[in-house]
Amino acid sequence: MSESENNTRELAFRRLLRAQFGVEGEPEAPLPDDGPLVAREHHKALAKALQAAGWRLYVTCAATHFPAVPGKKPTDATTPECFEVATVLRSVGPGTHVARWRVKLAADETIDSLVRVFVGADWQEREQFDLVGVIFAGHPDLRRLMMPEDWVGHPLRRDYAIDTPHAPWR
Amino acid sequence: MTPVALARAPWPDPYLNVDDYDPEADLMVINLGPQHPSTHGVFRVVLYLDGEIIIKAIPHPGYLHRGVEKLCEKLTYAQITPIVDKNDYVAPMLNEQAVNMAFEKMLGVEVPLRARYMRTILAEIQRVASHLLWLGTFAMDLGGALGGGTSVFMYCFRERESILNLFEDLTGCRFHYNTHTVGGQRHDIPAGWAAKVHQTLEAISQRIPEYETMLEHPIFVRRTKGVGVIDADLALELGLTGPLLRASGVDHDLRRDAPYHIYDQLKDLAVAVESEGDCMARYKVRVKELRESIRIARMLIDNVPEGPISGGRPIKQPGQFKAKGGQVYVGIETPRGELGTYLIAGGGKMGDTPYRLKIRPPSLHALACVPYVFPGHSLSDAVAILGSLDPIMGEVDR
Amino acid sequence: MAVNESDRSFDHPLYETLERFPGLDLATTAVDKVLTWGANNSQWIFPMATSCCGIEFMAAAASLVDLDRMGSITRGSPRQSDLMVVAGTITVKMAPRVKRLWDQMPEPKWCIAMGSCAISGDFYRDIYSVIPGIDVAIPVDVYIPGCPPNPEQLMAGMLRLQEKVNLKRAGLWSPPETRPETGKTIEPAIKRLLQAGRDERITAAQLDQAMSLMLPAVDLPPRPEPEPEPTAEADAGTTEAPAAPATPDGGHHE
Repeated sequence: MSESENNTRELAFRRLLRAQFGVEGEPEAPLPDDGPLVAREHHKALAKALQAAGWRLYVTCAATHFPAVPGKKPTDATTPECFEVATVLRSVGPGTHVARWRVKLAADETIDSLVRVFVGADWQEREQFDLVGVIFAGHPDLRRLMMPEDWVGHPLRRDYAIDTPHAPWR
Repeated sequence: MTPVALARAPWPDPYLNVDDYDPEADLMVINLGPQHPSTHGVFRVVLYLDGEIIIKAIPHPGYLHRGVEKLCEKLTYAQITPIVDKNDYVAPMLNEQAVNMAFEKMLGVEVPLRARYMRTILAEIQRVASHLLWLGTFAMDLGGALGGGTSVFMYCFRERESILNLFEDLTGCRFHYNTHTVGGQRHDIPAGWAAKVHQTLEAISQRIPEYETMLEHPIFVRRTKGVGVIDADLALELGLTGPLLRASGVDHDLRRDAPYHIYDQLKDLAVAVESEGDCMARYKVRVKELRESIRIARMLIDNVPEGPISGGRPIKQPGQFKAKGGQVYVGIETPRGELGTYLIAGGGKMGDTPYRLKIRPPSLHALACVPYVFPGHSLSDAVAILGSLDPIMGEVDR
Repeated sequence: MAVNESDRSFDHPLYETLERFPGLDLATTAVDKVLTWGANNSQWIFPMATSCCGIEFMAAAASLVDLDRMGSITRGSPRQSDLMVVAGTITVKMAPRVKRLWDQMPEPKWCIAMGSCAISGDFYRDIYSVIPGIDVAIPVDVYIPGCPPNPEQLMAGMLRLQEKVNLKRAGLWSPPETRPETGKTIEPAIKRLLQAGRDERITAAQLDQAMSLMLPAVDLPPRPEPEPEPTAEADAGTTEAPAAPATPDGGHHE
């Protein structure tokens, strides 16, 4: 019973992504294991659509930093710095289904905040802003959550040294 | 359901501008925490009071941010288990299971049946210990150090000690067990352990009615009934999970709805649901779960199949596991709700460490409801509400 | 003056009072004895319980070990306490608060560093936000190693503290507490409080930060603007709310 419900939801999720949010592939073909990539202008609309369709529990979002990678030879082009924001939603009750998708961002791009869709996104997005440094556009209260207000830098970036000193305490 | 605006009646407005509040009112600002006995750790909340009534609450977490996610990026998959123990230090077993399940999914490691049985039993016994600790501290929050609450605290800790003794027999540690590995368990069940489990859990289940009679007297009922109501809409939108969500009338439990370990074989798993959404409902849900967990653990301990406890070879070197890269999300049901692990594996040269490990702590969302739930209550109710949310700052801040 | 500094076990206001009256200064030895006895048998604890060790501290205060047997009860206010038990990791955000609460405790006062995090930062010592042991900011009398230490170990630490206070009282040489270290010691960037070569400016800066903690003056996030309704052009592009796909009723539970 719950298995079949999970399958129904998975198919609905695939159809929704393919029909309206520009994910490539046949409407009901399996999504990539890493989660589908969604363009950043679709991000908020997708969350709204999923909320309306029954994915009502905000689970998490995870921002990741990919630093610039120089080419192997000096003549090769450098892969530019970028970010990736993954969002996870859940439907409630028996046969709960996890909907997750990723948004790729260039270093200077922002992503729409989901606070007005799910208030639970408030702290998660503040935390990701604090630790990774992704700007969530439209977030009403984008302050640091974990680190002190006067902290410099975003610790969870890959190029941030783990043992950064902080006088006079460490 | 329509998408919800930020400040929507009937929820209190978390963005209330205090300057716009009644200018005649005599407002007071009170700083609760970060070092306060009833904030359950180092949580700080700034309260704006009109008389005794809170009109606005601004929470400030982050006083225990230990950079666990950054540390995990430096460690191999087999080394991470003892680190995540310290996140939710009231239920370390569940932390270990959450990350190891994500690693197993990423690395494609099978867990043998005996290890899955053991994991289920350990998770349920740990749930009993966690809820007992919650019950004791909640009673102390309500009763005060010199009031009636201390006796319940003492009794609950007595029972919790007996559970810690069980885990000590199994792993050698009182907590921070480091007993799960990628692919199974490190420590097998010692001889005579099953009998001890029966004895301990039987003793606890006989004493639960005593605590109920101690707690459910008129003062306790008045301090919890109708206090801190979270409706189902708000709970879902905030991402509340576990007992908090079920106390708000949403029938959702990952053990039944997205079964892992051997929960899919437990057809009669009863999910405790209450509809009121107040502190009393949260108390009732947890006490029901206490009984259910005891029942499941006692039922399973007699049926543990023989076999290996670890899927892989014994781990000789930490860098044994190599991932090809990819992303997985795994969520399990801890005593506080859905503990999720979002894992981005490093491929190639970085195949033996996670590229990014994001832990989704249930307590973070529980505390995020403070600005919505505190306003309209008195200061003493705030302590009761905070206690009923059962936050563990170690996993909020990580 | 009659009172020899080295005879004192503690700084206590009672001594100054006694010094003011000629003749009474001879009573300081007796007073000292009484104070030592009292201090040893009623160490009121201010628990700086931040993380896991705090749970073991609670277990020690509960029925198994029962710190109450030694007259030790926990107090919520630093001004009523003699002993601070630092149980758990201290972060850079928390450290000024710990320092300030320590400074609020009246003399004589002691500090127990409970658990490896409070001693050295444990495996978090290299992390950007964790201070490498509480003794970079406040002096520690007894170190209790363990992750976390058992309640019995905390009890042993309390007894060790009593012993230390008694030794000091008897005028016997009390060795400075040695930090429990493994062979491979990583020195933190900031020198510890009792380490040679500690910069006084560090101490001053720590005190300054601890004393400048205030309630946030303007902490109110501005009220968010109401969200603009999506315009017709925007709708034509992407943000059209799609028709809900056929979903079972499982998602709705109101």
